[in-house]
Amino acid sequence: MKDDKSKSELNYKDLTQSDKDLVAKLVKGGFSRREVLKLSMVTGVSLVAAEHLLFNGKAAIAATPKKGGSVRMSSNLHGPDDKLDPATFTSTIDYTRGRATYNSLIQHANDLSPQPELAESFEPNGNATEWTFKIRDGVTFHNGGKLTADDVVYTMKRHQGEDSTSVIKSVLASVKEWKKTGPMEVKAILESPNADLPTLLGLFQTKIVKNGTTGYTQKEDGSLEQNGTGPYIMESFQPGVKSVHTRNENYWREGANLDACEITAITDPVARVNALISGDMDMVTQLEPNSFRQVESAKGVTLLSTPAALQMGICCLKNSEPGSSDDFVKGMQYIQDRKRIVKRILKGKGSLGNDTPISPAHGKDWCSELPQREYDPDKAKFHFKKSGYTEAELFVAPVSGGIEDICLTAQANCAKIGFNLKLKKVPTDGYWGAVWMKEPLNVVTWNMRPTANSQLGIQFGPGAAWNDTFWNNARMGELLAQSLAETDPAKRHAMYCEMQTLVHNGSGMVIPAFSNINDGIADNVMGMPTVPLGQLGACEWPEFIWLA
Amino acid sequence: MMTRMVMQRIGIGFATLIVVSIIVFIATSILPGDVAQIVLGQSATPETLAALRAQLGLDQPGYIRYFSWLGNMMTGDLGISKAGGATISSLIGGRFGNTMMMAGFVALISIPISIALGLWAAMHPGTWLDRLVTFGTLSLISVPEFFIATVAVLILAVELHWLPSTAYMTGEETFFELMKALAMPLITLVIVVSAQMIRMTRAGILNVMSSPYIEMAILKGVPRGRIILRHAFFNAIGPIINVIALNLAYLVSGVVIVETIFAYPGLAKLMIDGVQTRDLPLVQACAMIFCGTYVILILIADVGSILSNPRLRNPK
Amino acid sequence: MTDQIVNKEAEQEVLAKLDAFAELPDAPPKRKFRLTWIGYVSCAVVAFWLIICVVGPSIAPFHEMDMDGDDSFLPAGPGEYGYFYLGTDYLSRDTLSRVLYGARNTIGISLAATLLAYLMGITLGILAAVKGGWIDMGISRVNDAILALPTIMLGLIVIAALGSSIPILIGTAAVIYATSVFRIARALGQDIMVQDYVEAAATRGEGVWWIIRAEVLPNAAMPLATDFGLRLVFVVLFISSLSFLGLGVQPPAADWGSMVRENLQGLTYGSYAAIWPALAIASFTIAINLIVDDISAKSGGSLAKKMV
Repeated sequence: MKDDKSKSELNYKDLTQSDKDLVAKLVKGGFSRREVLKLSMVTGVSLVAAEHLLFNGKAAIAATPKKGGSVRMSSNLHGPDDKLDPATFTSTIDYTRGRATYNSLIQHANDLSPQPELAESFEPNGNATEWTFKIRDGVTFHNGGKLTADDVVYTMKRHQGEDSTSVIKSVLASVKEWKKTGPMEVKAILESPNADLPTLLGLFQTKIVKNGTTGYTQKEDGSLEQNGTGPYIMESFQPGVKSVHTRNENYWREGANLDACEITAITDPVARVNALISGDMDMVTQLEPNSFRQVESAKGVTLLSTPAALQMGICCLKNSEPGSSDDFVKGMQYIQDRKRIVKRILKGKGSLGNDTPISPAHGKDWCSELPQREYDPDKAKFHFKKSGYTEAELFVAPVSGGIEDICLTAQANCAKIGFNLKLKKVPTDGYWGAVWMKEPLNVVTWNMRPTANSQLGIQFGPGAAWNDTFWNNARMGELLAQSLAETDPAKRHAMYCEMQTLVHNGSGMVIPAFSNINDGIADNVMGMPTVPLGQLGACEWPEFIWLA
Repeated sequence: MMTRMVMQRIGIGFATLIVVSIIVFIATSILPGDVAQIVLGQSATPETLAALRAQLGLDQPGYIRYFSWLGNMMTGDLGISKAGGATISSLIGGRFGNTMMMAGFVALISIPISIALGLWAAMHPGTWLDRLVTFGTLSLISVPEFFIATVAVLILAVELHWLPSTAYMTGEETFFELMKALAMPLITLVIVVSAQMIRMTRAGILNVMSSPYIEMAILKGVPRGRIILRHAFFNAIGPIINVIALNLAYLVSGVVIVETIFAYPGLAKLMIDGVQTRDLPLVQACAMIFCGTYVILILIADVGSILSNPRLRNPK
Repeated sequence: MTDQIVNKEAEQEVLAKLDAFAELPDAPPKRKFRLTWIGYVSCAVVAFWLIICVVGPSIAPFHEMDMDGDDSFLPAGPGEYGYFYLGTDYLSRDTLSRVLYGARNTIGISLAATLLAYLMGITLGILAAVKGGWIDMGISRVNDAILALPTIMLGLIVIAALGSSIPILIGTAAVIYATSVFRIARALGQDIMVQDYVEAAATRGEGVWWIIRAEVLPNAAMPLATDFGLRLVFVVLFISSLSFLGLGVQPPAADWGSMVRENLQGLTYGSYAAIWPALAIASFTIAINLIVDDISAKSGGSLAKKMV
């Protein structure tokens, strides 16, 4: 009774400013049970009321976007190889600049569902072998000119053909042809059915450029190709230094709330955190677990932790020793102290891995029925012994925050059962070409893919270009194809569960944990999206945020 | 004699530049992966790699790429960054100015401080003040500079909020704002290079102090301060100029860690980025600048020490 | 900072020219070294660390890779598996044990690299000085080229190409720092070669190797020896700057420079995990240099004094 009363009495607008700030902080941080408790303690209201207040607050905050102000955002990496050509984007800073300057046909929502962006609508034919996209009317490029089907066809064709250097060439390889079927209509004709095609068209590299654009570099006089339709116009671009963006006053929809934003990077993780806390930066990406406590206790900044399927993986190549031994792989899997890894190394901002690339962040496609593999030194010892190996060498590069520490933990635990796991630390540059998919034991990280199918297919599809444990399973191939065409949710889930079980038991992949996406933002940054496909809401922030 | 020496040194300088370019070329070629591989990273497939390599001209043999680079270099064409596609001159332009500005400010602050402190310590050898300077400079030399930089940031930027934690420049600041933005890296670098220069100044003067003509002056009863300022300092100037020149060369090419921690866009970090992306033209361009700076500074130092030393000025 | 070694050598190069005059064969024999109390304390510190190098792993309460702490960055105090005298590091490992284990790597690598640098630098430097001509020209240009490039970049390239094992770390540091030793040795050698007593020996019909062994080396020994202390500091710092780029000693082995680096974040929580290894570096390197200072101040020769 009391709860109901306070629920009806307490309203967001009645709170004091400091409580409002607290609510704002919790809303932005994606509140947890613990934080609700904190709010309830601070404001002296009951739990139910506090929860109510939070949703209330979320609505109140979300309802009042404001124009004006500017922000500085710092990514973790940049250099002379920063790109302007969307097809060649490879890093967070590229993606962010791309999102500020361009639009895609499709946009990923926080729940990963495909939303219309430059495509007003998208419809498959009966068996999903053809997709029809209606292009939005009234969209203009930064240098003038109206968006038409020609621009879309021109852009998409850049990902095809022998001399294409597009990063997602193989991802979109299933599209046989992009065809203009009307002034504002485009058709994609596929080799095989793909119900997930729209989701793929929201990838970072699919930004739509103006028909006929050839140069993406800065011109001699310092001016830039203004060939995008996005919320901000790029004013200046200095690779490895920064870029400055100002609002596109003719943006085709609401959004673009800031007057300007500057995008840069601070490569040193300690310096990046310090820049956030001292107020030099409004948003920073890739907070390292060691800095969580510092950010959480600092005034004026929030740690934004979005659960995601950022896998921290150890690849045991099935086509070479020692990974060819299933027992060795089992040993490596049982020696992972997963709970400790999530608690100590990821400081709780992550989730347990079950040696499959699918995490709870993938939603309904995650196989919750699959029993969690636990830390079991006895079983590990048994399997290592059975495999006949007494030592192995694992190549480690800091490809993701915490991966080295995971390997160090495994090494220490192996030493306790008499197995000598040697670590060979190598630099990140050159890693993907010289070590990954080459050395028998190596580490890997994968950005979360928008669908379970693309996540499983890219890594475990038989003969796939990036099948990084060289585990080729025919049944896996069948299921990958069948599940794309399956529309019955129960059957679909059963298929995904079977695939995850296959990977869990048979592949050479060890995935002890998934990391959350951990970024830091200043408290006055509002409206932050939480798309789990990349840093800072999968770099979707430029369109949405505003300053309180 | 002087002119001949300078001409000879310039000739040697060119020879050194060629050797540097060959070393850099060989070194970057033995690194695992090429620029196409690094640019595409995890998303590389054999087809995209082949396409990008053809686009960047990496399918030509190494020596052809080297000589075409050398030819372009001779005509003043620095080429295009393989990794990003921007022209090398646009990448280097602003950063060259930044690097020179930082080196200049650090030199302006640290050289007078170092010489003054070094002289002062040399005037009072063996006293507690001298020991304090010796111990202080040794301590600062022996601590990694990222430690000094981070501690300075934690105190001055994060705790006290007096200074910004990064050297972030908008390009439109007033002189005062610029100084404030650059304060943290300036402080760090002044500490790092001064410690060295103080030690060298003190040692150089103490050395001259034990030479016979100074001993003679001491015996004649000339006050110690006067001896040091009038006689010893002038004779110790050669080695001190050398130390300063080499510290300046370090400020131009070696301050990677300070540039990284303070996100200061300078040349040293650019070269490391170039190595990490296997961007040969970029690495070569930076190497040429660093080597040129080194050669010029050493030349100036040599001329300086010869001018200041009668024995070297008039060889037997 | 690591690049500054070159200062030392340039200074010596010029001073060496002056010195050749003072170091005549009839110079009075050097007095026996007598240390001040500072020198004795420094010797004790160095001896302490050398002993730790040998016994460190056996007296450490934990293994360097054990993550037995209850949490990261714990202050000193008892833990689940034992007492953490200096607290824990970022991976809940015992800081004291890692400092004890790390002594072996840091001191071992830097001593080995510095000695090797001296061996290479002196051999090539005197070879260049004695032989002259094209050999001198060739070695000197390559040497200049390496000196002109930033050390950290050279380290990055070698380690990226060959991997980061302890022998490669030692070799890389040795080659980089041999360039400075080479310049000193060559300058000293050139000056000694034109001395009357060397010319006299040559006229007597002595061979090149006899001259090097009997005349050049003994006269070049003191200035080279006094430079050793600073060079050692620079090697320690070089290894730690590699850890800044994510290279350096292979995990889980501890080295002091990387320990400072990986625990820097702890400073914000009031953890001393980064301070202890920094103090270890400082105490060892300062002690070495104070000993050198003491010897050169006491040994009387002006030659030594300028090397301070």
